[in-house]
Amino acid sequence: MAKHVLSCTVNGEPVEVLVQPYVTLLDALREDMGLTGPKEGCGTGDCGACTVHVDGKVVASCLMLAMQARGRKIRTIEGLAAADSTLHPLQDAFVRHGVPQCGFCIPGVLMAAAALLEENPRPSEEEIRYGIAGNLCRCTGYTKMVTAISEAAEMLASQRSAR
Amino acid sequence: MSTMKTTRDVKGVGVSIPRPDGPEKVTGRVQYVADIQPKGLLHAKLLRSPHAHARIVSIDVSAAKALPGVRAVLTAKDIPHLKKKAPTRAHAVLAIDRAVFMGQPVAAVAADELSIAEEALDLIKVEYQVLPASIDPLKAMLPGAPPVADAGTEADTSEALAHSAVAIAKSAAPAKAVNISQQARLQRGDPAKGFAESDHVLEKTYRVPMVHQGYLEAHAVLAEWDRNGLLTLWASTQGSFNTRSEVADVLGIPENRIRVIPVECGGGFGGKIRALCEPITAVLAQVTKRPVRYVMTRREELQAGMPAPQVIIKLKTGVKRDGTLMALDAETVIDSGAFSGAVLAVSAVFLGSMYKWPAFDIRGFEVLTHKPSVAAYRAPVAPQTIFAIESHMEQIARDLDLDSVEFRMRHLIQEGDPMVNGQQWVAAGGKNGKRRGVGLALGGWLGGLQPTGATVRLNPDGSLAVLTGQVDIAGTNISLAQIAASAYGVDTDLVRITTGDTDVAPMTGLSAGSKTIYTVGAAVLQASEDARRQTFEIAAAELEASVHDLELTDGKITVRGMPDKGITLATIGKKGNLYMSKTPPVLGKANPAFTQQAPGFAAQLARLEVDPDTGEVTIQDFVIVQDVGKAINPLGVEGQMQGGAVQSLGIALTEGLMFDDSGRLTNPSLLDYRKLTAADLPNLETIIVEVPAPAGPFGARGVGEPPIIPAPAAIANAIQNATGARLTELPLSPERIALALVNGKR
Repeated sequence: MAKHVLSCTVNGEPVEVLVQPYVTLLDALREDMGLTGPKEGCGTGDCGACTVHVDGKVVASCLMLAMQARGRKIRTIEGLAAADSTLHPLQDAFVRHGVPQCGFCIPGVLMAAAALLEENPRPSEEEIRYGIAGNLCRCTGYTKMVTAISEAAEMLASQRSAR
Repeated sequence: MSTMKTTRDVKGVGVSIPRPDGPEKVTGRVQYVADIQPKGLLHAKLLRSPHAHARIVSIDVSAAKALPGVRAVLTAKDIPHLKKKAPTRAHAVLAIDRAVFMGQPVAAVAADELSIAEEALDLIKVEYQVLPASIDPLKAMLPGAPPVADAGTEADTSEALAHSAVAIAKSAAPAKAVNISQQARLQRGDPAKGFAESDHVLEKTYRVPMVHQGYLEAHAVLAEWDRNGLLTLWASTQGSFNTRSEVADVLGIPENRIRVIPVECGGGFGGKIRALCEPITAVLAQVTKRPVRYVMTRREELQAGMPAPQVIIKLKTGVKRDGTLMALDAETVIDSGAFSGAVLAVSAVFLGSMYKWPAFDIRGFEVLTHKPSVAAYRAPVAPQTIFAIESHMEQIARDLDLDSVEFRMRHLIQEGDPMVNGQQWVAAGGKNGKRRGVGLALGGWLGGLQPTGATVRLNPDGSLAVLTGQVDIAGTNISLAQIAASAYGVDTDLVRITTGDTDVAPMTGLSAGSKTIYTVGAAVLQASEDARRQTFEIAAAELEASVHDLELTDGKITVRGMPDKGITLATIGKKGNLYMSKTPPVLGKANPAFTQQAPGFAAQLARLEVDPDTGEVTIQDFVIVQDVGKAINPLGVEGQMQGGAVQSLGIALTEGLMFDDSGRLTNPSLLDYRKLTAADLPNLETIIVEVPAPAGPFGARGVGEPPIIPAPAAIANAIQNATGARLTELPLSPERIALALVNGKR
């Protein structure tokens, strides 16, 4: 099958790669663009490990064809930290609260949480729990995750009010 | 050692320190097997049997081999040199003439691209003759049931040994039915007399389905051979040395021809101890002379991984009206799937040992069925067994109108009491029409043991380098660094710990059995003390003083009372690495073996709400109380307690592999096999109890397994408290609860 040209923006940079028409966005990111942060945990959209943002919305990249991303803005875990590699407040809170154990779910959880905080800067505990309900974690029991997201939300809110 | 004290408290044991690889994990930079992209990489896929039991009449691979981009297609005929007797799952590299569970690999493909390998699978033609299958373990036990193993296949008890949690004498009685692969029997006193003298006899059967460990990273391995015939495996494993031994045994090559590099492991929970897909991937790499990577899909994991066994426990108890325990009769049936390897002894020992039964007869059977064979899952068989015991004890207390906590406390086994195998316990320690209930259950784990090694090196900058082969999944390396820091006398940020591969690391055991801190921690402690002793001896010579007069403060060793007379650790480290220097480099080492286990117990308390119309359970509060001996890193300990509890709650509420009568898995996706999400749960409260383990490093005992044990019974007890219904089959799904309420079952 002939490959197609996929032009899109990934983590703020214009990208052009050749992909098979049947390839998922997740495989294109991982195999063709070298962005292995998004993980495949199930391949069927049930575990959330492949979560990325497409035009600011949370997407299970294993369920989207790469060519559907043509002309759109993709953000992966590799693009969550600042350009000077300062950790995003969510990432910083995850580290301080000792959230990551095996770490495999973490890129997806962080992208889901980042999208949540962009839509809802002051989520309740319940809203946080539902915000990451599409992401399975088998190590942490979620408690520290929820605490870290809540703390990052407060930090982001205070940064905004300081401006 | 007592005279060489650290003169100020270093930042070490007992402090919550985030793991140093946290920034790598939150930025997506950590590499798992599937993230490694060597040049010339081939992708592997396995063709799996669509039948639970079938004779393989013929396999035609010609069309698959002809597909452009396919580099190898293998069937059992191509690997006649590999062992035929197949005592374990790993040995059954490809089905020879019979498939014994749905999902058993029948053929293997390596191709340039994954999609080509997938297409090649479709081109392989296999003719099967479907045979009758044994699916229900109780039916499989009966004489005349369709046989699973070939006659003469031995029972595999290595899983029990790997956990080294309990050992009991194996029953000498020969198995009568063809599918009974292991038997055990434990007896004490005269149960018949005990039952005759009892006022209250309670008989119930408890059922727990197969559950999958659910590590988020599926099994994955990358294999490559060099021109000298050395095999390198980049593996997602809980124990690199164990993987090396198993792969060597299956391939029939010496261990020194294999190097296992333990790549970051995306969860194991017992499911990544035994080899599974490593041997066939190694063979594909050997045949193609290219690096080959194999990553299982989630569907393959659920259909053909190595889940926890289905367990059926019949309990009959006799007690006096005042609650005095008289007699216990128990039968445990463990469905091990198509290959032997379940931990049979754990169930029998817990059944008879947790409470002080004066008379008992406990029988255990491991049964083979045409289902995927099982492996360990965090405290193997304990959550299932404790579900039966703790549900049953609660029911007895309720029937006799006794306080269930007091009743338990009165009969719980104490330190020094003999266990059923003669071993002694060593020191342990509604609104809106909805109905509310609370439930409690206890559970414990004996703790595994395994010999292990560690080295501690002093660097020229005065920092320490600790080397073990310990695979760090949960964050154990930071705790090991804290142990080294406190034992040597420097802050934890001056300790770097490395997990070496099988070519460079001291021999190290599994990350399993709740024993990493208890055993590897002890090795690191001893190696650090050894390094400290060597450092002090060098300082004593340099300072012309007795080691007993020296003290270490802020990276400098001084003579007590003479703060100006001293030498820094950096200076000692530099002297150990100078051209023509006469000072030996500091290299502490320890390689202990262990005899004394350190049991760890947990209690879990649930407050929940049951909707009597729908059977839906909402957990409102959940408290985990656990004796950890000493919390080396409280942050990590809390994470273990919370994570284990949620796995336990999943077994309680939603999880179960569901097979139809033909042995086909009916819920092979994470949509249909439900694991708990954040939205299903409240915040989990942790209460750390510290009763030091005599032989544990700084008193620490195992932390990983106890929290997965109590929740099924705690939730069942809370549901009974809320509704009056006693449920005895997991998962405690809304359907089961609603039906129990409709039927008025008690």
